[in-house]
Amino acid sequence: MRRLLTVLVLAFAAVAGVVTPAQAHNVLIGSDPKDKATLSAAPERVTLEFDQPVRQGFTQVTVTGPGGARFDEGGPSVDRTKVSVALGAPGPAGEYVIGYRILSSDGHPVSGSLTFTTTTGGTGTGQPAAAAPAASPVGGSGQNDLSAQATEASQNAGAGMAVLWIVLALVLLGAATAVALRRGGRPAPTGPSPAAPGTTETPGTPGTAEASSPAGSSSQPADQ
Amino acid sequence: MSVAQTPESSVPAPAVVPPGSAETGSGTDVFARRTLIGGLVGGALVAALAGAALIAERPVPGIPTPGPVVEYGLPVVRVLLDLAAVAVIGLSLLPKLLGFDDPERTEPVLRRVRPAAVSAAWAWAVFAFVTVVFHTAELNPGAFPTPAAVASYVSNVGAGQGLVISGATALACAAVGLLAVRFGESVPAELRTGIALFGLLPIPVTGHAVNSVWHDPIMISMELHVMGATAWTGGLLATALFVAARRDLLAVALPKFSKLATVCLILVSVSGLISGLSTMALTPGVELPGALLGSEYGLLLVAKVVLACALVPLAAHIRFRLLPAIARRQATSMVAWAAAEVTVMGLAYGVAITLTRASLT
Repeated sequence: MRRLLTVLVLAFAAVAGVVTPAQAHNVLIGSDPKDKATLSAAPERVTLEFDQPVRQGFTQVTVTGPGGARFDEGGPSVDRTKVSVALGAPGPAGEYVIGYRILSSDGHPVSGSLTFTTTTGGTGTGQPAAAAPAASPVGGSGQNDLSAQATEASQNAGAGMAVLWIVLALVLLGAATAVALRRGGRPAPTGPSPAAPGTTETPGTPGTAEASSPAGSSSQPADQ
Repeated sequence: MSVAQTPESSVPAPAVVPPGSAETGSGTDVFARRTLIGGLVGGALVAALAGAALIAERPVPGIPTPGPVVEYGLPVVRVLLDLAAVAVIGLSLLPKLLGFDDPERTEPVLRRVRPAAVSAAWAWAVFAFVTVVFHTAELNPGAFPTPAAVASYVSNVGAGQGLVISGATALACAAVGLLAVRFGESVPAELRTGIALFGLLPIPVTGHAVNSVWHDPIMISMELHVMGATAWTGGLLATALFVAARRDLLAVALPKFSKLATVCLILVSVSGLISGLSTMALTPGVELPGALLGSEYGLLLVAKVVLACALVPLAAHIRFRLLPAIARRQATSMVAWAAAEVTVMGLAYGVAITLTRASLT
């Protein structure tokens, strides 16, 4: 038991250095215009504010007008906790829906919608809703982008060799597993079984424990 | 230990197998196994799918959402990943529960356990990778996850890195498990259990956390929760699967497991309440007593508490009613009760998967 505890403590210490800590779920804490606000004229930008910094990639913000047309333009931009998107020429008066889906800092997508109403309309028609969704893998400031690209490039350089090694290790491990499961503790795994050849080679199903001996089959629980 | 028999060197040894064990009971044995595994996996899948339906992303105008394949596939592969880890930990713990003093009796059982642990470790690694792919698909709705998208998910998102580390550790488990298949108990059970528990540590990274000074204590609480739940479920599953048919061995293993289970029950309940409630309390916009019934997260937390409460009488029955008879090596209905217990545990796992993805507000 003491050995087990030692191993646990060591594992804890190791993992503290290895794994990035889990981050929290982003929560929308404010917006401009506010949810369900009534405005005399359509805003030029829509800004959403979250309780923590929003990740750069995967951010989507759309503004859908009364007729279902899209009024957001140019894709969203991220500035720490704020995500904003520019609006095109003001459309007709009525209810607009802001839809968002961001990558929360804990890695989960967080989505939702807000509405605002305009009382005076404009002449803008927006874009048909079928237009491509404006995901923004390029959002954010230029500096971040460059450094991200640099790290990605450096990762890709080493990736080829890493993949080769991983594949080699997997093949080795897989072959060893196949051999070990074949033997399964008995010297004649396929010999005595009278069953059809198709069913004998499935060590995974617990039901085929036709060997009916304690050292016979190599079943794998919770594996289906 | 010096029990380094290779599998083929000690082949038949039928004389040491006590009568009335697996030899005669193989029919019921198979049925019992199916019930145990079916209960755990079935419970987990039912709860995970029901949870996915509960927390399904509401469509947002103008924004594509992931299709049903991702919506329901992700929790399924994620819970299967957890169950594979449960199996690995349970099967690695089993030598500890059986003890090393009587290899003639325990070796026939352990010779079946070790390859099973290797298979489960492989399943763990495969499900970890598939989960990463599903996570990538969830973030890129409407697009099939390309290798480049998966790579960028892993390099950008902590959850992806956590899953990759977990899957790699599972492969290490498989490798060490293979050594154990070859060299028997001279590969220490502590090492196998330790590596498997290490593979569990990145798992909470895929769930929620809070942004506060309490982040680290809550993360430790989550780690303890995951490890306690896995050791508890895995230990029970492995004992019921491989030892229940052998009354002489069950009389040795179950009392040890009962102690472990008691510790795990306390650990899992306390750490679960601490991490769940404090995560809610520290999230902006969540008001505590009301949010328990008013938010998805709160409802799922309540469901987990109910399931934990349902486990107590089942566990207590095995511990206080059946254990004395088992210690006297009498026949008991232990497998049936264990099947009921692992089914409830499976449900709890399914709810847990949903909880890691549910919205807090």
